[in-house]
Amino acid sequence: MATNQEQQQNQAGRHQEVGHKSLLQSDALYQYILETSVYPREPEAMKELRELTAKHPWNIMTTSADEGQFLNMLLKLINAKNTMEIGVYTGYSLLATALALPDDGKILAMDINRENYELGLPVIQKAGVAHKIDFKEGPALPVLDLMLEDGKNHGSFDFIFVDADKDNYLNYHKRLIELVKVGGLIGYDNTLWNGSVVAPPDAPLRKYVRYYRDFVLELNKALAADPRIEICQLPVGDGITLCRRIN
Amino acid sequence: MASNQEEQQNQAGRHQEVGHKSLLQSDALYQYILETSVYPREPEAMKELREVTAKHPWNIMTTSADEGQFLNMLLKLINAKNTMEIGVYTGYSLLATALALPRDGKILAMDINRDNYELGLPVIQKAGVAHKIDFREGPALPVLDQMIEEGKYHGSFDFIFVDADKDNYLNYHKRLIELVKVGGVIGYDNTLWNGSVVAPPDAPLRKYVRYYRDFVLELNQALAADPRIEICQLPVGDGITICRRIS
Repeated sequence: MATNQEQQQNQAGRHQEVGHKSLLQSDALYQYILETSVYPREPEAMKELRELTAKHPWNIMTTSADEGQFLNMLLKLINAKNTMEIGVYTGYSLLATALALPDDGKILAMDINRENYELGLPVIQKAGVAHKIDFKEGPALPVLDLMLEDGKNHGSFDFIFVDADKDNYLNYHKRLIELVKVGGLIGYDNTLWNGSVVAPPDAPLRKYVRYYRDFVLELNKALAADPRIEICQLPVGDGITLCRRIN
Repeated sequence: MASNQEEQQNQAGRHQEVGHKSLLQSDALYQYILETSVYPREPEAMKELREVTAKHPWNIMTTSADEGQFLNMLLKLINAKNTMEIGVYTGYSLLATALALPRDGKILAMDINRDNYELGLPVIQKAGVAHKIDFREGPALPVLDQMIEEGKYHGSFDFIFVDADKDNYLNYHKRLIELVKVGGVIGYDNTLWNGSVVAPPDAPLRKYVRYYRDFVLELNQALAADPRIEICQLPVGDGITICRRIS
């Protein structure tokens, strides 16, 4: 069990990682992308939310700025209007989404922790897009199961983003594949899991990384084999797998 | 000037790079993505074209399989129908595009070298999509200027992919921004230029890499500053910058 001092050092180390965590060949290359193409274009509200989140102890969970930019563009490219997000934290990807949707766009956002969402909510409200968000506190599976009972929810979502508990991704997938429309998109976050998907068996890994790694490996295999979707696994952020429903 | 033996060694080295050239933290991670998410999904025709190209002396120029998969998905997501490609080589990204477009989709494809295109053409024909392609041999700028003059081509393209001479990208951009439709996408390939965008001044770089690096750096700054587009610089392949025209 880590001592108090160890825990503080861990947290300090993790704080330093935010903004410097990527799957790229060097942090220099990652900073180049951020400084050249991301930060100069980052909307004020997103910058503010990013800075707010940087002070939070769990900030390693946040969506990175390059990933936020990518999601925002993707949503505009597919003209998304009705979306869902599982896993909100302080709302960085939620804000990226809300800024991309039209004024009458809707986002069903779920997280087991309302406090973190409320930390970022004032920024989202100031940006004028909070009205698009329907936040539900609690686990997502019961909500999804309830939605599936009503046939009119089937195929009703343009885009669904999953950035939550990795040991449940396949359970989510079983439901989301019915809820997303044909031609619509599901995005699964963290599918390259800090690069640990290829770590040798004796590599030193953080406990939670090692614990969830098997679930991530299993997920990746399952998505690649699922004939109802076409996939694309992008090395953005911690790895996002885009799944386009084809039937 | 490299001796004959040095040249052969250079070529052998470059041949080995194909399929192993990425911007990621390790080749192991890149191979994981390819083996798990790309190769199992790669259409037969694209596999065949990739293998034909692997035998060609300039094969380092080819679009990688992960990039081909990404382009194919992107085109389907944006419902592209009328596209352009500048820089074809043996046609891997051209085939990825042709497979994504509907039956009546059209691609204007330009390259200074028809021989390489004709190397891949039989595979594209066998895939049943060659009828979508209008190939023009020669430099692209005169063709673009002609189209700009004619007026009716303004805003007529859904998607334009540029994978050609880096010292002309900004010259292409000046024209393409008029030819792509508002809401349409221009993709510029190789914008991270083998990671050399952050190489220190004394780093050993291949001559052509060093020569074109300044053009790439300049391009990246210009795209980031262009108010007519929104951008997203993805570390797929050698770096693709996706530009969505907004005005």
